[in-house]
Amino acid sequence: MFAVTGGIAVLAFLLPAPRGPVVLYAAVLALSLVVGEGRSALRAIRVCLPLWILLALLLGLSPGGERQWIGPLSLSRGGLAAALAQGARLGAVATVSLALFAGFDPSRFLDAVAERGWSFHAGYLLVATLQAVPRFRHRAAMILEAQRARGLRFRGSPLRRARALVPLTLPLVLGMLSEVDDRAMALETRGVDARVPRTSLRSPPDSLPDRIIRWAMPVLVLAALVWRLAG
Amino acid sequence: MSAVRFAGVSLRYSGAPADALGGITLDIASGSVSWLFGSLGAGCSSLLLVAAGLAPRHSGGTLAGQVTTLGENPHETAGRRALAGRVAYVMATPGVQLSGVAATVWDEAAFAPANLGWPIARIAAAVDAALGRLGIAHLAARHPAALSGGELQRVVIASMLVLAPELWLLDEPASALDRDGRRLLAELLRVEAARGAAVVVATEDADAMLELAQRVIVLDHGRVALDGPPANVLAGEAVWVHADESTTVAGLARAAGRLDSPPPPALRPPYPLTVSEGLARWR
Repeated sequence: MFAVTGGIAVLAFLLPAPRGPVVLYAAVLALSLVVGEGRSALRAIRVCLPLWILLALLLGLSPGGERQWIGPLSLSRGGLAAALAQGARLGAVATVSLALFAGFDPSRFLDAVAERGWSFHAGYLLVATLQAVPRFRHRAAMILEAQRARGLRFRGSPLRRARALVPLTLPLVLGMLSEVDDRAMALETRGVDARVPRTSLRSPPDSLPDRIIRWAMPVLVLAALVWRLAG
Repeated sequence: MSAVRFAGVSLRYSGAPADALGGITLDIASGSVSWLFGSLGAGCSSLLLVAAGLAPRHSGGTLAGQVTTLGENPHETAGRRALAGRVAYVMATPGVQLSGVAATVWDEAAFAPANLGWPIARIAAAVDAALGRLGIAHLAARHPAALSGGELQRVVIASMLVLAPELWLLDEPASALDRDGRRLLAELLRVEAARGAAVVVATEDADAMLELAQRVIVLDHGRVALDGPPANVLAGEAVWVHADESTTVAGLARAAGRLDSPPPPALRPPYPLTVSEGLARWR
């Protein structure tokens, strides 16, 4: 999945715009439906939608070039094509990233890291970063509730809202920093610094399709690179 | 045999106006339960951190004196490596002690032995046994994030128990546990001490430790104020001076004694420590 995500991210910027990114995004959408990751695709659309609109307005409203009327707006065709390419890139990368996040099994990943003899620290750092997102969100929600219970209001003028962010972000950041210290101590007592190869708890399956995809993605990226350079 | 030896140990955290530990000299024996007792800021947690080699390295500050843990210096790299998997450290907040990467309780408990490179068969046997002893075998397939605070604390303790440590350092380990959990923990620590491990518990729960600990070390402003068998130390007036706490019954007896001046003989030190002692005294 890392190979696919990395490959898609590189291909999205290597393939010629706007057709390349659009075709790639269509392929990613189709693939996500086939492998049962339709929910990730939908979430990616929800995340990207405001950015797509922003891109269309920003690039479409740029002056000059051939114009296209869409409702009351006169938009640049070149700008719209650029917005389409950027939007498709964004959509493709967001979809594969969310699918990776949704299907990511940290234990299995660390087992794979152990089996291959890769650096446990690097693997742990990656996993802990990915796992930190829901923890961060949970803690933020708790602090928000606590501050609301203490009378903090998040409505009103932008200045008032900006001021309300301070009692939210400060405990969040300080709490996370303090947790990092405690977690570092706890991890040390659990042998993460041991200078021995980590035991893989269960051998992660590595099927033929897995291996094919893992090799195919770099080949595809390389082929696209050569094609673009030659073209 | 001495499991932990402090020789003139002082610790001052960065920016702190005073020492957290001041000239501590102590020997903690293997095969026994020692109890660190004191008010907030007395230095109990700091003493555990220093014994584990975690402070001042993680916290910042300066350490003076000599610490020897299981024959090693935990404040040197070689000593820390030699101690890997031999010292169990349990904090009051179970959430932060999780690996953060395990998808199941079983994997969480297996995290440390896997890091130490144990063979998988040994890990499996140790994890199954530890989860069973903590009464959480039925949670083995659950995600740690889906557990209650009490269940999490049991998982954290099980994750240390798998290592069969020679030294237990526990900082308010029962804070998240219910009554059954506390009873289970007390029994577990008793068995661990009988196995030969040194158990050091920092807690304010005098009622629980009275039965469990062979020795109480009362700290006051980072110094050893009292040291002896819990029954002797807790029954005296001095523990109130240094820790402002004793067992519930001792506290009641002391408070009742203050209603009269001078207090009646039955309510003078040594105070009764348990309900049965109190009844025997007042009957």
